[in-house]
Amino acid sequence: MTRLRRGLIIAVAGIAITALIVPMLPLPDPVRIEVAHQLAAPSGAHWLGQDEYGRDVLSRLLWGARTSLLVAGASAALACFFGIVLGLLGGYLRGVTEFLAVRSMDVVLCFPPLLLALLVVTLLGPGATTLIPVLAVLYLPGFVRVVYAGVLTVRSQDYVEAMRALGAGPIRIMVRTILPNVAGPVLVQFSLAAASAVVLESGLSFLGLGVVPPTPSWGLMIGSARATMNQAPLLLLWPCAALSLTILTMNALCDALRDAVDPHAGPRFARRSAMDALLPGLRPPPGPVLAIDHLTIEIDTPYGMIQPVRDLSLTVEAGETLAIVGESGSGKSLTGLAVMGLLPPAARVARGAVWLDGRELLRADEATLRSLRGGAMAMIFQDPLSSLNPVHRIGAQIAEGITAHASRQNREGDAWSRAVGLLRMVGIPDPERRARSFPYEMSGGMRQRAMIAVAIANNPRLLIADEPTTALDVTIQAQILELLAALRRERGMALVFITHSLPVVAEIADRVVVMYAGEVVEQGAAADVFAAPRHPYTAALLRSAPTEDGGLPEGIPGTVPQPHDLPAGCAFAPRCAHRVPDCESVRPPLVDVGPNRQSRCLRWRELA
Amino acid sequence: MIWFLRRIGTAILLIWVVASIVFLAIRLVPGDPAELLLSQGGVAPDPATVAELREQLGLDRPLPVQYVERFRLMAQGDLGRSLQDNAPIAGEIARRLPRTLELILAAALFAVVVGIPTGVLAANRPGGWLDRWALLQSSVGLAVPVFVIGTVLVLVFAQTLRWVPAGGYVPLARDPGRHLLLLAMPSLAIGIGLAATVFRMTRASMLDVTQRDFVRTARAKGVGPRRILVRHVLRNALMPVVTVLALHMGTLLGGTVLVEYVFNYPGLSGLLVEAVNARDYPAVEGVVLVISVLFVLLNLLVDLIYAALDPRVRHA
Repeated sequence: MTRLRRGLIIAVAGIAITALIVPMLPLPDPVRIEVAHQLAAPSGAHWLGQDEYGRDVLSRLLWGARTSLLVAGASAALACFFGIVLGLLGGYLRGVTEFLAVRSMDVVLCFPPLLLALLVVTLLGPGATTLIPVLAVLYLPGFVRVVYAGVLTVRSQDYVEAMRALGAGPIRIMVRTILPNVAGPVLVQFSLAAASAVVLESGLSFLGLGVVPPTPSWGLMIGSARATMNQAPLLLLWPCAALSLTILTMNALCDALRDAVDPHAGPRFARRSAMDALLPGLRPPPGPVLAIDHLTIEIDTPYGMIQPVRDLSLTVEAGETLAIVGESGSGKSLTGLAVMGLLPPAARVARGAVWLDGRELLRADEATLRSLRGGAMAMIFQDPLSSLNPVHRIGAQIAEGITAHASRQNREGDAWSRAVGLLRMVGIPDPERRARSFPYEMSGGMRQRAMIAVAIANNPRLLIADEPTTALDVTIQAQILELLAALRRERGMALVFITHSLPVVAEIADRVVVMYAGEVVEQGAAADVFAAPRHPYTAALLRSAPTEDGGLPEGIPGTVPQPHDLPAGCAFAPRCAHRVPDCESVRPPLVDVGPNRQSRCLRWRELA
Repeated sequence: MIWFLRRIGTAILLIWVVASIVFLAIRLVPGDPAELLLSQGGVAPDPATVAELREQLGLDRPLPVQYVERFRLMAQGDLGRSLQDNAPIAGEIARRLPRTLELILAAALFAVVVGIPTGVLAANRPGGWLDRWALLQSSVGLAVPVFVIGTVLVLVFAQTLRWVPAGGYVPLARDPGRHLLLLAMPSLAIGIGLAATVFRMTRASMLDVTQRDFVRTARAKGVGPRRILVRHVLRNALMPVVTVLALHMGTLLGGTVLVEYVFNYPGLSGLLVEAVNARDYPAVEGVVLVISVLFVLLNLLVDLIYAALDPRVRHA
């Protein structure tokens, strides 16, 4: 990518340098007419031949580059300068200045660009001196908007406030802090404006309303070569090619610049065939509803291959609630998505096996997975607003899941009435009417209930709930937890509850798995783990939760290590109050510390 | 409903602003239009003739009077008379506007038929051969200016292969076959660049929507890939494409100038170029005004379509 960008910069620079040094090149005069050699073929003196007036074509092409780039560069620079000034003033001073500087730009946008240029050319007459200011006005709004938006985001940031507090004047603040921040987008805008100006200049010149003859310009050359295209088609093709290639390079440079400035680089797509490389699951099918066996997930990142989930094993029985607890980035959600076969494209399973009712999922084909998803296994996602389709009614979104798993005969049939029934079951008042609502018309709590209705539509054996209460306030949270607990009791589902909140775990879970930096650090019955944690991280987590008797929560010092920069020994060692030298060199294994109880700590005995 | 009324109010306000700017631009520019008009050829015009023309154009009256008079006539659909042949400008515009609109619609149709399916297929396998091939083609389509495409089309299909006439216009009623044949090349010239834009937008939008949470939800429900594509991805992904396409069509209202010129197509933009070259101020003013108003109306239409497609917009 960077090599491509460098190549493009060199190409554009090459065109620009050619344009600059044209007067110094040993070329024939581009405007000297030789009537005797009209439309002459290429010769030693005239490499590309002569045009209808006997002028040298190569010379006119190169001089044409000069005209194009001069007009484009000058108008873009002019627009850039005034755009920065207006954008800075409007964004920084606000009020009337803001209105005049920014809103007035909308008026320019009311006219189709070529039309505005034509109007002005009519009034002021053609020629480069008219063209440059007209094009500058056309590109002004783009620059003003970019700078204005940049100023608005930057002006409220801490370091700008700090500079103001230190007594820096507004001009100094603008030049020192804001300009460097908007430089990237402005550069992109500049390249877009220049590329577009080349197109407009050539178009207007082609019509005879841009550059005035006999100045060499690509647009003019194409225009006049049309008359002789039968005798000398090459005369037409040379300026067409020069113009198109110039614009092509400039566009490509724009794209490259935008990619460089925009942090959202294109997603990387892991190849699905990597799944085939997995070891076949040789273990006999175990008994529980869900069994995850030594699961490792890989993501290919710019920092190299990371493993956000490593060697994770757990089981969930029917009617049991298992909570997976951990901080953000501990790998909880990825685990849930891996079970569903819904990992994002960049991530893939490197090792391990996942069994649902004795059926291996990681090696199942997409059709099998599709029949299981929303059927035997279902998932509730964290943010109900973004997880529901904004343009479809709630009832239709529930019914869709029912229809997808219905046998071919009774498709569509009563899916809608079953959807209404599900809405009633999850406690939504007036479900007939609510089924016709769009997601944005519902409250957050109601959306999450609808999301649950979507998930339980086909009586799943396994329900994975990924932080289903995080986006909700406390009272709604309690109602949702109650609803999930009731559903599990009534339907005998296995429930996997992913959360970072210990009070929620205490309320709902039979067993708990504590994850830290992609690994299970402790697991056991919820009551045991809460009463007597066997890993310093669990203990620290418990201390960091708000207590019922009003004691102050205690933070955990330090931060979770980055997945591409894990410590050599125990991942928690750098933050651990109990660490000994061994912790920093030996990676502790997960050891049994009691019946159905495991810990990944070298010193678990001392902690007990 | 309130949203709807407010949006229409904004559009009316914009039309008024645009009409005023066009009016002022013609009258406040340095140099007297009447004098400029008569002084072609470098000879100083006769003051009496200038005064006569000024009177004929109404330029001798005070600006506010002219302004009120102009808007009064405009409300009646009167845009003045051409200086070239003294014909009513509104009539000439009414005759030529449908031809330009037909051209734009034909180009948009081509762009949609080519751009959207290619974009959807390319986004289905990003990095695949179709994706890379289409991306390359669209770079070329975006880079070559319309008048270059048009000129090359004429050179190849009209001059060299002699499959089609080089240009012109025949009304649909007189000869439907020839009408469509003559429409094909100019709309292709515009449509190629437009198709490249539509392709890029569709592809980017598809890739974006495919990553959204609600698509994951649909997959979690066990919905099949085709239904996910049609019901969940396409509907959401095509909204920005519709917007961009409509905005581009608005830009084309003034942007068909070059293609109409290349193919000798008697559309609205051609009228504008003729008027500009003849310094026919009332005609220029009329055409610019009509196009700008259409542009504003089209933007309004886009917003309304958007509201129909996305229930959230109506309540924002």
